Amino acid sequence: MDSTMSLAASGARTRPDGDRSHIGRITVIALVFALLAAMVLSMTTGASGASLGNLIGSLFSGSEGADALRDYAVIVNIRLPRMVLGVLIGAGLAVSGLLMQGLFRNPLADPGLVGVSSGSALGAVIIIVLGGTALAPFTTALGIWSLPAAAFGGGLLTTFVLYRVATRGGQTAIATMLLAGIAIGALASAFSGVLTYIASENQLRDLTFWGLGSLAGATWIKVLAAGPIIFAALAVAGFLAKGLNAMTLGEATASHLGVPVQRFKRITIVAVAAATGASVAVSGGIGFVGIVVPHLLRLAIGPDHRYLLPASALLGATFLLFCDALSRTVVAPAELPIGIVTAAFGGPFFLWILLHRRSAFAW
Amino acid sequence: MIDIDSVSVQLGSRKILHEVSLRASSGKLTAIIGPNGSGKSTLLKALCRDHAYSGVISIDGRDIAGMSPLEIASIRAVLPQSSNLPFPFTVREVVAMGLTAGRPGVDARALQHLPEEALARVDLGGFGGRFYGELSGGEQQRVQLARVLCQVWEPVIGGVPRYLFLDEPVSSLDIKHQLMIMEVAKRFARQGGGVIAVLHDLNLTALYADTILALRDGRVVASGRPEAVLTDAVLQRVFDVPLRVGVAPRAGNFVLPQSVEMNELSVA
Repeated sequence: MDSTMSLAASGARTRPDGDRSHIGRITVIALVFALLAAMVLSMTTGASGASLGNLIGSLFSGSEGADALRDYAVIVNIRLPRMVLGVLIGAGLAVSGLLMQGLFRNPLADPGLVGVSSGSALGAVIIIVLGGTALAPFTTALGIWSLPAAAFGGGLLTTFVLYRVATRGGQTAIATMLLAGIAIGALASAFSGVLTYIASENQLRDLTFWGLGSLAGATWIKVLAAGPIIFAALAVAGFLAKGLNAMTLGEATASHLGVPVQRFKRITIVAVAAATGASVAVSGGIGFVGIVVPHLLRLAIGPDHRYLLPASALLGATFLLFCDALSRTVVAPAELPIGIVTAAFGGPFFLWILLHRRSAFAW
Repeated sequence: MIDIDSVSVQLGSRKILHEVSLRASSGKLTAIIGPNGSGKSTLLKALCRDHAYSGVISIDGRDIAGMSPLEIASIRAVLPQSSNLPFPFTVREVVAMGLTAGRPGVDARALQHLPEEALARVDLGGFGGRFYGELSGGEQQRVQLARVLCQVWEPVIGGVPRYLFLDEPVSSLDIKHQLMIMEVAKRFARQGGGVIAVLHDLNLTALYADTILALRDGRVVASGRPEAVLTDAVLQRVFDVPLRVGVAPRAGNFVLPQSVEMNELSVA
């Protein structure tokens, strides 16, 4: 009698072949710790010498020097909101990418690549340039949420148009999707260009800072403006996992499996637009998070969205905090816009996917 | 009982189905036959609510137009002609998707043994850990059948029958697996479930069907028991080629295509 036989006989809890749920669970737990480590890293790196250790030490020793006060201000008003914003945006962008890939049944779909970010950016630019004049009623009514709301609207419109153009009978042609994304993105960028042209000098400075893609301007106000929207999108995404799995079999089969497909698609599109829009509104264009993170995780734990969703949120947040820490230290005391760092990782990674998995896309 | 009452389907300006009616009982395997473009698959798609239709389709007395996707998914499963997956799922993960709808009042963990049982039923025991994309077309089709079986594992629950809709289930399979899949479907019907299958192979139809619906140009040419539909005259009207139905000793009916040339020779 060989050992595998006795193992199978004794183990009522033997895991079936091909069941990777345990890998998914372990990875999610490991990523929680990775995120905690990245949060500590984010709190302890920066241009000023303020360190968490110093602050905590001074709190306990009761010293109230000018240094301790300055450290307190740096950590609570600059690094903490920046860290929180990094977590929210990293998670939001990674999950948006994952949702789009599931919706389009396509591992290359990403809000940045297919023009959704450009649409969100157009919404934001409209508010920055016209918010004080033509759209003043809108901005007074929505206050700090007017920028994310407009970006959400722009993202929603582009996702919807993209879906209508690229999807026929539940099947999305990858070439059509990417080309339509380029066209829609170019159109949105053209409108943004027109608005930039008529912008005042002050608005131009706002636009430039914002357009570079950075967490540098993080404030508690921005956390309050984008946080609830991204958080709501992430919470909704949590309920989409089983439906996304079924959708990989095609829309018709998903519906045969009991998924209310039309409603499911609408909810997914709104969640993508909300997370992307809110992220773009407060941090500008940070690219590639939505494609790098889900792809790496699919290699590690497989494509089951029940684990991919939480894992993408966690790794997205970790990845963005890591890139942010890098952007603050590489050319210290100056700072690189974080969009440059994510693109430096994401661009080559994207090419690598194309080279190694070309056959899988049947081009 | 699935009751299809004067169902018509129009795609654009073209009418694909003209007032087709059919009663498919539980406990029976109903085959839909007809040449390419006759509306077989369209009828199945209307049954699955993939196409808009006029007329009434009801399952056990309930109009399917008013049922939620989840309600329908709990009483019928659909095997598509083929499925490709954009992401690298394992065979087990694909089969487990059959459990998406779950069972009302049943804990999901109590169903976790079903994927293995379903895989064994389609002769793919031990394939759970393989990647779906790396299987042959025939193996993929059997994985999909296992997924579909998972969805309606018990042919009857609480006295209520469940249904399998199969869209050309065996067209990419070798003869052994053609028979195997038809046997699985037949067994489902024998145990009280209902099966509606679009079939191309007339010999498999002769071997397994309890009821046959023959379509041509979107209209019903004949429908009923095999003896009534599988006749030389009906088949010639449906397929527009000479076909001869014979009876083999101890094997039942078979359908033999006739070479037009030979037919002319024999007439001469």
